[in-house]
Amino acid sequence: MSALEHFLSVVEQNGSELWLRIGQHIMLTGVSTLAAIAIGIPLGIFAEKRAWAERPVLATVGILQTVPSLAMLALLLTLIGQIGAVPAIIALTLYALLPIVRNTVTGLRGIAPSIVEAARGVGMTPAQKLSLVEMPLALPVIVAGVRTAAVVGVGIATLSAFIGAGGLGQFINRGLALTNTDLILLGAIPSALLALAVDGSIAAFQWGIETRRRARDLPRIWTTRIATALPAFILVVGAIAYWSTSSGLPAAMQGSTRGGQETLRIGAKNFSESEVLGEMIAQLIEAKTDLRVDRRFGFGGTMIVHRALIEGEIDLYVEYTGTALTTIIGAKTITDPNRVLAYVRKVYAERFHLIWLKPFKINNTYALAVTSENARSRGWATISGLVADAGGLRAGFTPEFSQRPDGYPGLRKAYGLSFGQVFDLDAALMYRAVAGGEVDVVSAYATDGRIDAYNLILLEDDRHAFPPYFAAPVVREAILKAYPELRTVLAPLTDLLDDKTMRALNWQVYGEKKSPRTVAREFLRARISWLPATRLNDGHAFATGSSATRVRSAVSQRRRQ
Amino acid sequence: MIVLDNVSKSFDGGQSYALCDVSLTIEEGETFVLLGSSGSGKTTILRLISRLIEPTAGQITLDGRDLNDCGVIELRRNMGYVFQGIGLFPHMTVGQNVAIGLRLIGWPLPKREARARELLDLVGLESDAYFAHFPNELSGGQQQRVAVARALATDPDYLLMDEPFGALDALTRETLQKEVLRLKASLGKTIVFVTHDILEAFILGDRIGVCNKGRLDQVGTRRELLKTPKTDFVRALLARPLEQLETFQDLK
Ligand SMILES: Nc1ncnc2c1ncn2[C@@H]1O[C@H](COP(=O)(O)OP(=O)(O)OP(=O)(O)O)[C@@H](O)[C@H]1O
Ligand SMILES: [Mg+2]
Repeated sequence: MSALEHFLSVVEQNGSELWLRIGQHIMLTGVSTLAAIAIGIPLGIFAEKRAWAERPVLATVGILQTVPSLAMLALLLTLIGQIGAVPAIIALTLYALLPIVRNTVTGLRGIAPSIVEAARGVGMTPAQKLSLVEMPLALPVIVAGVRTAAVVGVGIATLSAFIGAGGLGQFINRGLALTNTDLILLGAIPSALLALAVDGSIAAFQWGIETRRRARDLPRIWTTRIATALPAFILVVGAIAYWSTSSGLPAAMQGSTRGGQETLRIGAKNFSESEVLGEMIAQLIEAKTDLRVDRRFGFGGTMIVHRALIEGEIDLYVEYTGTALTTIIGAKTITDPNRVLAYVRKVYAERFHLIWLKPFKINNTYALAVTSENARSRGWATISGLVADAGGLRAGFTPEFSQRPDGYPGLRKAYGLSFGQVFDLDAALMYRAVAGGEVDVVSAYATDGRIDAYNLILLEDDRHAFPPYFAAPVVREAILKAYPELRTVLAPLTDLLDDKTMRALNWQVYGEKKSPRTVAREFLRARISWLPATRLNDGHAFATGSSATRVRSAVSQRRRQ
Repeated sequence: MIVLDNVSKSFDGGQSYALCDVSLTIEEGETFVLLGSSGSGKTTILRLISRLIEPTAGQITLDGRDLNDCGVIELRRNMGYVFQGIGLFPHMTVGQNVAIGLRLIGWPLPKREARARELLDLVGLESDAYFAHFPNELSGGQQQRVAVARALATDPDYLLMDEPFGALDALTRETLQKEVLRLKASLGKTIVFVTHDILEAFILGDRIGVCNKGRLDQVGTRRELLKTPKTDFVRALLARPLEQLETFQDLK
């Protein structure tokens, strides 16, 4: 199968979602560009008319554009306390301001002084001068600014997916998380095409306004009219795509907290383990309760998904005890797993009204990994056992592990351990390097699927230098009150999962390129005997045939946000 | 009646003066021609009258009222101005340019267009051929005629014309000069007319003011200027064309 055919089949499989994402993407870019036009042009006019205002205005919009996109999104998130389209549109609008304001100033400034004097001389008021003479003459330059803003906007809008605003970035985000090139391309190619379409349509608009001045015969008048209307046409198509797909989604997608909701919104961070666990929870809830599940996966960071939970944009997601302790609460590391859990439980309940359910037996902490041959031949089983040999060993660590206090520095303190050589390596290279014998020991995440795939052994942390990172569902208090059955529904997962199982599941996503949904479904059906018999919330029996499965996944795909 | 009373204008905060201590009275219904070499301050006088710039010192009155007390928009709408740089709006058609003043005072479109066509025909441009053209599709002389038509459109009481016929051939120029004379006779407009061309000044001007380096050397009828030039500059300025005329006589 050629690359093109393959890509087309990927497009076909994700057809309905692709349509939705394109619609969202156009909506995000369109609304923000229109907002930037509405703000930027008056601002540019103001800056040009008032000499004192020009520098501060241009400097401000200039600085806005230098703020890194993710920092801007995170900042807006804390400022307006909301995830989704609103902060994304605000961020995109702020980015779009600079080219529009600057080109407005440049365009107005470029008008010949004799024309401006003639406008005054024939008796125009300042407002008439602006609308009848200055704006029409500056328009080509201003439109060029809008063109830059819109095209750049299409690119930046892919980042909106990090804060749950959807768009084509959703595919890219998911693809990056699952190292799935198909998904990355499914987001990247349409967004590149969209950028070209936007660029082309505004170019046509420019051509249209310029040529209209010359067009005196009917055919040319019509071509220029059509060219001029193109950008509006794209916006309308986007709006139709957006509304036609989003109105079919559960109402919960638009609103936030409402009492008596029938839909549970489950979040996940943008890496495979988080999504697989999120899927398991979602599928259990769908199978065992009458609730519908709205999957809101792919959040771009701990703080972002945490905020989403606090704000009631999602109801539940899987967090790690160690992450909650250090990243969210900001406390010093504690190494006793039970004390960590007790502490985060207490703080979460008091401070955020969030409940930690019973943790899974998955501890995704840091670990040291060696090849199994070395472990056998040199008798390494614990980190203590490594101390004597350490001086002659080469270690490969991720830069993060080398720096973090709970990484290598903590390890040195706890064990008095010092490796002969330490190399900073990218995570993917790290595993290959140790398997190939280029380094002797590497840092690893305890549940990384690559550990077993590369036939590595994790050394026991016998002095408990690494803080515990146990995974557990965190749910909003109000939701748990309304649906207390969630505890029992999710309870089976506690005994089904352990580090080794999780590694295998992660490898199915990372190495075998299965979707988290499939991995979760196959796992649950193999391990939970009652699952296949249970009625599904959308009314279909969970038949074993592949066609029924496809119908089901198409249905849930539509609900996915 | 326009009166300039000891008017000075400096563009650089008093270091040099584009216009220095000029006093001048332009009577109602008169055609007053400003003559003088390049950079002598002729355009500056017109711009002061239409309040495009403010005097550094001195006072200007219009029919006895201080110019600053007249609403500036009303003032300009009552003064048809043919700019030296022509100043047509490049994004408007010839028709729209001519009718702009009427648009500002709220005439409906059909009336505006009819009036614009009438004026184009008056200045010798076939309205059917040029109405929908844009200024840069016209020759320099054609553009000047459009500018004249625009200044006439609202039938203003005052006309400020800054070298309006500079780019025209002698024949067209003569036609338009005659038109100005006719306007003056039939409509009684007060016209301030700037030119370099001494013959044009003699044909059109009831009185002529000679500018020299920001000062008004002399104001008078053509006869007074010829008979009793007040300064060497005035004498030299008027002598040139007569000498040239004699050169042509020799060729005959
Ligand atoms: N906006 C301005 N800023 C500075 N100096 C100016 C400005 N406008 C005119 N001047 C100066 O004022 C003087 C008179 O200019 P003005 O335009 O009145 O001359 P003019 O008699 O109309 O000349 P021409 O016959 O070449 O049109 C010139 O020296 C010119 O440099
Ligand atoms: Mg001049």
